[in-house]
Amino acid sequence: MKKIIYLIKLTLFSGVLLLGSCESMELDLTENPNLLAPSQASPDFFLSSIQVDFAKEVVEPFGLTGGQVTRIDYMNGRNYLNAYSPNSFDREWRYAYQRMMSDIHLMNTLAVESELWYHVAMGQVMEAYTLLTLVDFYGNVPYSEAFLGSENLNPSVDDGASVYAAAIALLDDAILNFGKTAVDPQYDFYYDGDWTKWIKAANTIKMKAYMATRLVDASAITKFDAIVASGDYISTTADDFQFRWGTNEIQPDTRHPRYADSYTSTGAERYMSNSLMDYMTGKDPGAYSTPVNFDPRTLFYFYRQSSATPGVDGEPADEETLECGLYTAPNHYAGFTYCGVARGWWGRDHGNDNGIPPDGFLRALAGVYPAGGALDDATYDSKVNGDGNGGNGITPIMLASWVNFMIAETQMIVGNDAAAKTAMFEGISKSMDKVTNSATTTDRFDWLFGTATNDAYPDTVALHYGPAVGYTINQFDSIFQVDLSADWDAATTTGKWDILAMQYFVASYGNGIDAYNFYRRTGYPTTLQPNIEPNPGGFIRSFYYPANFANNNSSVTQKTGVDVQVFWDNNASSPGFPIAN
Amino acid sequence: MLYVWNCDKLIFKPKINSMKKILLFSFMLLSALVTESWAQERTISGTVTSAEDGSTMPGVNVVLKGTTNGTITDIDGNYKLSIPTEGGILSFSFVGLTTEEVEIGTQSVIDLAMSADVKQLSEVVVTAMGISRDKQALGYAVSSVSSENIEQKSESDLGRVLKGKASGVQIQQQSGMSGSGTSIIIRGMNTFSGSNQPLFIVDGVPFSGATNEQGDFVDGNNGSSRFLDLDPNNIEDVSVLKGLAAATLYGTQGRNGVILITTKTGSSNGAVKKTEITVSSSLFANEIASMPNYQNEYGGGFDQSFGWFFSNWGPAFEEGGSAGWGNQPAITVGANGNPVLEHPFSTASSATGIPAAFPEYAGREYDWKPYDGVKDFFRTGIIKNNSINIRGASSDGMVSYNVSYGNLKDEGFTPGNTLDRNTVTIGGSAKLTNKFRINATMNYAKTDFKTPPVAASYGSNVDGENASIFGNLFYTPRSIDLMGIPYQNPITGESVYYRQNNSIQHPLWTVHNAGNIQDTHRAFGGVTLLYEISENLNVNFRYGHDVYSENNVNFSNKGGKTGSVANRSGVYQTWNNTNTIDDLNLAVNGNYDLGQDFDISFTAGATSRRDVFDQNGVKSTGQQVFNVLRHSNFAAQDEIQTFRERNILAAYGQAEVGFKDFTYMTLAARKDWVSNLSEENRSIAYPSASISFLPFKAISALKDNNVVDFMKLRVGYGTSANFPTGYPVASTLVLNTQTFQDAAGKDVVTNTSGNVLGNSDLKPEKIGELEFGLEARMLDNRLSLDFSMYNRTTTDLIVDRPLDPSTGFTITKTNVGEIKSNGIEVDLAYDWITNNDGLNFTTSLNWFKNQAIVVDLGLDTDIVVYAGFSTLGNAAIKDEPLGTMIGTTIDRDADGNYLVNAAGSYQIKEGNNIIGNATPDFIMNLNNSLSYKNINLNILFSWTQGGDIYTQTVQTLLGRGVINDEGVDRANSFILPGVNPDGTKNTTQINNSTYYFSNVLYGPDEMGVYDATVFRLQEVSLGYTLPQKILDKTPFGVVSLTFTGNNLWFYTPYMPKNSNFDPNVAGLGIGNGAGFEYLNGPSSRRYGLSLKASF
Repeated sequence: MKKIIYLIKLTLFSGVLLLGSCESMELDLTENPNLLAPSQASPDFFLSSIQVDFAKEVVEPFGLTGGQVTRIDYMNGRNYLNAYSPNSFDREWRYAYQRMMSDIHLMNTLAVESELWYHVAMGQVMEAYTLLTLVDFYGNVPYSEAFLGSENLNPSVDDGASVYAAAIALLDDAILNFGKTAVDPQYDFYYDGDWTKWIKAANTIKMKAYMATRLVDASAITKFDAIVASGDYISTTADDFQFRWGTNEIQPDTRHPRYADSYTSTGAERYMSNSLMDYMTGKDPGAYSTPVNFDPRTLFYFYRQSSATPGVDGEPADEETLECGLYTAPNHYAGFTYCGVARGWWGRDHGNDNGIPPDGFLRALAGVYPAGGALDDATYDSKVNGDGNGGNGITPIMLASWVNFMIAETQMIVGNDAAAKTAMFEGISKSMDKVTNSATTTDRFDWLFGTATNDAYPDTVALHYGPAVGYTINQFDSIFQVDLSADWDAATTTGKWDILAMQYFVASYGNGIDAYNFYRRTGYPTTLQPNIEPNPGGFIRSFYYPANFANNNSSVTQKTGVDVQVFWDNNASSPGFPIAN
Repeated sequence: MLYVWNCDKLIFKPKINSMKKILLFSFMLLSALVTESWAQERTISGTVTSAEDGSTMPGVNVVLKGTTNGTITDIDGNYKLSIPTEGGILSFSFVGLTTEEVEIGTQSVIDLAMSADVKQLSEVVVTAMGISRDKQALGYAVSSVSSENIEQKSESDLGRVLKGKASGVQIQQQSGMSGSGTSIIIRGMNTFSGSNQPLFIVDGVPFSGATNEQGDFVDGNNGSSRFLDLDPNNIEDVSVLKGLAAATLYGTQGRNGVILITTKTGSSNGAVKKTEITVSSSLFANEIASMPNYQNEYGGGFDQSFGWFFSNWGPAFEEGGSAGWGNQPAITVGANGNPVLEHPFSTASSATGIPAAFPEYAGREYDWKPYDGVKDFFRTGIIKNNSINIRGASSDGMVSYNVSYGNLKDEGFTPGNTLDRNTVTIGGSAKLTNKFRINATMNYAKTDFKTPPVAASYGSNVDGENASIFGNLFYTPRSIDLMGIPYQNPITGESVYYRQNNSIQHPLWTVHNAGNIQDTHRAFGGVTLLYEISENLNVNFRYGHDVYSENNVNFSNKGGKTGSVANRSGVYQTWNNTNTIDDLNLAVNGNYDLGQDFDISFTAGATSRRDVFDQNGVKSTGQQVFNVLRHSNFAAQDEIQTFRERNILAAYGQAEVGFKDFTYMTLAARKDWVSNLSEENRSIAYPSASISFLPFKAISALKDNNVVDFMKLRVGYGTSANFPTGYPVASTLVLNTQTFQDAAGKDVVTNTSGNVLGNSDLKPEKIGELEFGLEARMLDNRLSLDFSMYNRTTTDLIVDRPLDPSTGFTITKTNVGEIKSNGIEVDLAYDWITNNDGLNFTTSLNWFKNQAIVVDLGLDTDIVVYAGFSTLGNAAIKDEPLGTMIGTTIDRDADGNYLVNAAGSYQIKEGNNIIGNATPDFIMNLNNSLSYKNINLNILFSWTQGGDIYTQTVQTLLGRGVINDEGVDRANSFILPGVNPDGTKNTTQINNSTYYFSNVLYGPDEMGVYDATVFRLQEVSLGYTLPQKILDKTPFGVVSLTFTGNNLWFYTPYMPKNSNFDPNVAGLGIGNGAGFEYLNGPSSRRYGLSLKASF
């Protein structure tokens, strides 16, 4: 064979002589000059990519989806079966497995060799959280047979419980690794090299995992309590496990994804959830001078571009921008907010799949927390990219306030209402503190809370359009907490669960992963706004497998529906559970 | 090892043994060189020409009658023969010409003019490697198209000119935009991962016909197909080698068929001894051919209420009635007495900056009436095409030359779309001595293509990063004064339009502020050096070079309203693609008579081909000063760089044995070595065999019949292989220097694992084809038939197999499964009237059907989506035809009833459901050619039966309510047939807009699929040639005037009538995807006059 090739080359030699080149004859051109070779990898470069992917491609999208189904965020889809098509998760699946976790494994080979234990440990924490989330959303997923390349092109799924166990083992290992001495990585976007906080984060993620499995694992609560007892978990907002976004628009776009979708030159592309805005604005939206249950975080979560919502609460309807304002609520919406929340909290009802009217500069936007948008100062300006905080927000992954809600849940299940209430209010206070600190001090005091600036906001305007002037944020907070405390005390056990759930959801704004778990675990709250479609099918107990997984892997078949329960969910089947559907 | 090859020198490491071999080899080579004439008594010579046009005739058999002593004429028609001293008769024969016998006597020079044998119509065709062969000897199908069917056409793209002119060839334009890409697929697709586009050979050397699209179909894929660099007016003829038996000598490159082009420059035929100058000049009009028939009863809005919506479901232009504008508070009677609105610039959101920038519009009235903006948006483009060709030869005929220049200015019907082309070609041949001959051609082309951006759109802006000129055009609500509403903010330069949050980019802004440019400089050509070892044996060496440099620009000023943030900030991308093909070929050709009945001709050679694609450029974002397109005026820069190289080395041989004049057998083989696979999978051999048998010559009983004049049966078997491109065996790592920024704003550098799993076991895809054919002429040669049937199998398919990302990778190239395809090609012609000096009327028809079935996809996958989106695209599914389209469908219950949700709309079934098949049932072309004296008329009619198309244009036109579905009254409501999820019959009424908007436009994909059957008046030409009498007194040799038109009419029986949609559009670009269209652009209609004169 070789001789023949030589002969051809020889035969063509005359031509080559004429042309003075013989690169035409080279037959071994298999290396790709456009990309690096795997041998040129750097553990630091890997770790940076892993950290960004974790926040941007795993926590954010799953957090949004979890929020959408629990009505923290707006969901577009009248039918639970079709609200999320399999391919809508292709990107998350690809980033979780092919990018993030593959990169972790490749990095580990290099990092272990160089004893870069912090690199390894950070990877383990992020991998563990990702695995837990994949199980929470899809049920059984590949792990033990994954990442093998050509050795196994069709990895089988592992039982969700064993993936959970693997994740917990990773966290345990990470805690050990954080305790070692090693060279710091180039970047730690989460704790800037504070390894004790990383250990707290790892422990807290374990708590979340135990909490998730409490229905199927009798020892889960004991393990949870043991960590509480150790105190080595995220207990103050300074310990919060979160990712901070930047303000650069392009190359690279470092802005919070929710900001990028809301602050554009042509207006918002994303709707806020009527259900959550209705809850947070309290019981009596007409009387802001003496608000009842008005949650001050509302003004941080949502930015209003309009002072009024057409067709709602006596405002004239505008078929061009908010058509549903012309209609009365469907029967199954009796007792729920419909179409929009008064005074400019203009969002969409759960499941609404109508076309998009030209309301991009009118509807409510994501606010300053956590998206890094604008603080609602009742000026009702239309916002474009660059406005507000420019996208410099956070993606919460595990917050101190959430731990209190988990603790409250452990107390509720043993019937200790009082302890639950204490824990819940502790969580609310931490959340309130975190959220209200997301805008700069000046902003907060220039605004209508606080000491002065009544000149800028004459009473007439403020009274008509927004919350009362003259209260400080602390006053607002205390009015809110006093109202809520009274509600709690007056509520039945179910009512208490509903309050706990709703408050947990409010605090979860920005990452609905744990809210989605809570909802399937407890069935609360029972009071969520239903789907605009009267017959939307049973609630999504786990999502379809992503199309790029189900279609390309012969070891797995797509689920027949979205009613498959994950391993830790032994509640009644859909429909019927959760009650609010 | 005998000798060591390294790139710079050849080092011999002789051992005694090897030395002997080398000596032997050298001796053989020498003896071949010195083998010359044999001692004879005298020599006779002469030149054979064609009686018809005086051109020289190569390949004519010259035999001393009654002996085997003979020769053939050389490329210039010369022959030389040694014969015994006295007497004898020379017999001159050539297929298709009347055999002539000449008494030699004492003559030593015999020149002869040969004329056509009307009973023996036959032709010489160019086959692989430029070998001219008698068509009757071919055991496979070859279609030829000659210059008169190519030149002076209103289409300037050779690919599109060929449409309908050869059976088995499917030609699809990307859109009707001037300079947009063109797909050519011969005998259907073989593969779904590799290219299915044919090999182009121009004047013997490879020529890139590639389409370098500027992006993918989502972000915009403008780019010309590089055969656009050929001037159709400079083409002498085109041979299409369809089957593998025909293309064996080209190896892997020939697997999709070969288009062999002989340019006038490269043609050695017809060199006349006087200088001849031919000038042609054409002027054509270029119009949009597929303008929808818009309705003029209703205007913009939704649910019959007015609004500045994308949709046209608003109130009527009539005042009265339930849908009349009289019910709209926003519409009042204006100062002019007509219904008016407040101008959209008066009411736009202040955040858009429009009210501030246009204070003059505050409170201004805007007429509520239908506007014809879309029609006015388009223009009639003017196409000017001038070419001049000069050819001649030295007085001794030893040197001939041909020079041509062509200039094309092709203005698209879309503003901003132009194609300019200048081509210069120089060619010539010279006889250096008796033994050497040299042929060379040199071509230069400069092709400048410019267009506004075109990208996939979905009836609501684009989905990709950039803008699209058609994305927001065709569904413009009827009440929108597209041409009258200003498009540019005078302060910022940004796009402004009617939508209140300014979220639609004004199409006029796009025309003036965004575009794609592809300016190409191209040089190609070749040198062939031929050495005649003896009359029967020659060696030729050929070097071909093709290089083009495509300078691409993609720009959009800041202030656009669609696409990514980057696009809105202003983008400027400039990059150059340099593509080079170096081709070396050395061949030995021989031709011997073996006794009385047998003759053999053979070719053996070695060849190498090197392809290099080198892309370099810069992408800038963040424009600072409006409308300044320099990289220095942009905030950030990013790199554009790709490099690909691939070498192919090959050895090949072919032998043709003829037995008498009725049986011919051709055996050929080639072996390729390709550089981008691992060593053990790098090479493959392709054998082929074909037989041609002429029963009416072989069997004497059949010879004398009055019905069949000629019949040929042929059978051929050929093989080929498809090698992957790129670097499929490499493992990679990605580095990104701009993934994120740290708190200080410094860019963060990252690594990520490559998503492509390198496969070192990857083998080439193998293709085998068995072909049968029948050619016949009957009824005094009036009826001719050429029938082919083939059966093709592709195994070891290279699949871009998408992987479950949990494997750690998302894609790998692998070999799986099998595709079987079969097809039929029929060419039929009948001369109704043949009256040489008067009326002639011929009808010819070609018919083609191909079907490819996916027989096997390997063990562990049952579907591979190979084009389009992963959930809405073309898929290979076991036991389904290739070209199957998948997407969402209407959900059905167990009994097959449609499921309807509580809102009264269809429930969508997710997943990969079959929604259609893009492969046509058949393609038929019918040409009627009528000539009377100096007038000739050609009418080419084409019919594509079946094949489905998913069309966003039709969905959008219906879904946005700008056209009426035939026979549907907008005031009526619908109840969709089907059942509710609870099993009860659906009784929910929905209105027109809910049906068309929520179900047709944004419902199941299935609703957007139509049968793409189309009848088309493809080409009409009416020519008049000035009578010779008139020209006698002028310097002109020939003067003719021709009217031609292209795509003058089409009819699509299964499309909504008012959409007037032309399915001749390739929404997924020039690739393997078919049957999808995303508002990619209308088709064009061209017509005009062309004048040709020679003197």
